[in-house]
Amino acid sequence: MLRQLQAGVATLEGPDLRYSFVNDQMRELVGEAKPGQRVADQPGQLPSSLLEVLPRIYAAGEQYTVKACACGPQHCYDLSVQPYHDEHGAMAGLLLLAVDVSEQEAARQRAHELALTTRRLDARLRVLTETAPLVTFTTDAQGKVTYVSPQWYRFTGQPPTADLTAIWPLLVHPDDRLRVLYEAEAARRVGAGWNFEYRLRRYDGAYRWMLSRALPEMHPPDAPVFWHGALTEVHQERELSEARRRGEAELRFLADSIPELVWTASAEGLVDYYNQYTLEYTGLTKEELGPTGWVGLLQTEEQAAAARRWVQSVASGTEFEGEYRMRRHDGVYRWHTIRARQLSDGSGPRWFGTCSDVEEQYRLRQVLQTQYDELSRAHHNLDTFVYAASHDLRQPTNNLRGLFEELRRSATFADPEQALMLQMVDAALTQLDDTLIDLATTVRTQRQQQEPVEVLDMALVLEEILLGLRPEIMQRGARIEVLVGDAPGLRYSRANLRSVVHNLVSNALKFSHPVRPPHIVLRSYHTPDDQPVLEVQDNGLGMHIDNPAHPVFQLFARQHTHVDGTGVGLYLVQRIVSSQGGHVTVTSTLGEGTAFRVYWTVPAA
Amino acid sequence: MKHIVYISRAVHALTDYDLQHLLDQSRRDNAENGITGVLFYSHGNIAQLFEGEEATADALYERISQDGRHSHVRKLIDRSIAARSFSEWSMAFHPLAAESFEALQGFLLPHRVPPAPATLPIADALLVELVRLAVFGPDPSQPYHHIVAPTL
Repeated sequence: MLRQLQAGVATLEGPDLRYSFVNDQMRELVGEAKPGQRVADQPGQLPSSLLEVLPRIYAAGEQYTVKACACGPQHCYDLSVQPYHDEHGAMAGLLLLAVDVSEQEAARQRAHELALTTRRLDARLRVLTETAPLVTFTTDAQGKVTYVSPQWYRFTGQPPTADLTAIWPLLVHPDDRLRVLYEAEAARRVGAGWNFEYRLRRYDGAYRWMLSRALPEMHPPDAPVFWHGALTEVHQERELSEARRRGEAELRFLADSIPELVWTASAEGLVDYYNQYTLEYTGLTKEELGPTGWVGLLQTEEQAAAARRWVQSVASGTEFEGEYRMRRHDGVYRWHTIRARQLSDGSGPRWFGTCSDVEEQYRLRQVLQTQYDELSRAHHNLDTFVYAASHDLRQPTNNLRGLFEELRRSATFADPEQALMLQMVDAALTQLDDTLIDLATTVRTQRQQQEPVEVLDMALVLEEILLGLRPEIMQRGARIEVLVGDAPGLRYSRANLRSVVHNLVSNALKFSHPVRPPHIVLRSYHTPDDQPVLEVQDNGLGMHIDNPAHPVFQLFARQHTHVDGTGVGLYLVQRIVSSQGGHVTVTSTLGEGTAFRVYWTVPAA
Repeated sequence: MKHIVYISRAVHALTDYDLQHLLDQSRRDNAENGITGVLFYSHGNIAQLFEGEEATADALYERISQDGRHSHVRKLIDRSIAARSFSEWSMAFHPLAAESFEALQGFLLPHRVPPAPATLPIADALLVELVRLAVFGPDPSQPYHHIVAPTL
């Protein structure tokens, strides 16, 4: 029967405690103990402490048990020692029972270590939940608040004794309360988490926006029993985004209220917003317009250039501006100024554009242009009339002078007073003639400023002018040299060039030196900066010049009063040249000669 | 017939090998499905215009938008067209390695891309130009380094 036991059994006989019976399980503990061998001589794994007490147990005849006794390095046994008696009731020996509890002991040890770890983790969790800048909480399926972290008390200023379940809905802003209660309950009912924002009353009475998030604790297949969550203050973020949302809505409202086409585009130049007026004007939807649809609204022949211009603006980030005709919903094209500028801030570049209707201004400008053209024509006609009149009046004046000379030559006057009269008539005639010439010249220069520009063959033009001056040249026996090889062509107004050269050459002839025949050199060349120059050099009387680089020629100013003249020539030359942006310089030595240099500025094409 | 234009960002920068693979695969598939158009790629930026029969084009876009190799797919145009503007399907990019110029087959260098065909409506031609600018930058002969906000 003893062999059947799930325990080690051994009997130790007599006061010497000799093994008599040892079962197989006990052999695992005490080794190959032979009957009659003393336990002290073959202790096996039995601990020495037990060996020491065994004789005392025998002597006392009492029972002894020891739990979870370590026997050897690997095993643990519950040991029980009981005295047994012979048939006479006398002490016969000890019965040793050993139950292997190694596994139970190891499990107990593990449980203990687990408990320690759990306690450590729990402490850590507690520190974390209680120091994090958010409130953590737990509610059960009925909505009863079973836990809130201390931050909640600090935030709300509630005493630790507060009835959480009853008080927290009262701290929620009245406008949010029903919504919050409903949403939390709905989430609990379906076993889901929640995520919503509401205003919670702070200790100082101020309501602050909080974000509440919670998740159910799941142990499938059971329905969740607890919800754990956190409450974070999001007041500032919320106010900022609220302000931004409001700002954006206001801007959009503003843009939609303006009776102008307003749009915005991404950094890539793709339009992502058209205001309400754009849709009304074009009669198209946002989808129909699309990211680049605006270009299709322009006049067909202007589209390609506008598209190129926009691509360039996007590539370089420079402002877009231009005047284009844009199609209205009824097919009418109206002039618009399209303008777009790039805004670069932290959130990357964006484009803001407007199209302003300038049809009225455009019409007005056209009317003004027509009126201007009419005025200009009238002005021109007036000039022509004055020129023609002065020209036509010169002929009768010349006739008058001829007749007067003839009269003076053929008639004789006895009265000496009459000689004075003759002189006065002569002076009056001269003055009349000069005035007519000046009048004609002034009108002519004003007209010549709008003369057409062409490329002139200098040699030909100069020859023509010299041909016109032939009588004076012959009369004075002048020698003229024309050197145009360096700059044979000049882009200038023919009439203006003629006027300038004519004046300079006739001056050179007029102010020639009495003792030598005039020698005039006309030279056309380029400065090192490639500016065309005409030089007219003579060997005449010379003149006094205050500032050779910037000479000033006044109307009616004259230097050689003994020579006939009106003082208009040089004034005209300077006016013509400088009206086109050029300038005139002069170098002169009295009694030796003068050189004029005309620096032409070629008019823009 | 319809055409679709989209831009997107590659999840990983594509290597020359990836590009060649994409080129071969797309060319084969597109030829089979009667899809024509052009794809631009530079430094992870992708843009494509493709045209084809309504159902095939929609199906292709659906497949493209689900493709895990790119993200931030943004459709810019999805419109019916009367006729094709592109006679074939082509792809333009800068190979990363110089030796790939020799090895890669059948692609266009960005500055060799022909201008948008005249049959393309002006609004779409402008769109293609802007998209090309966005992908390749102002000077397409040079690889373009985008200044893109990091995407999370």
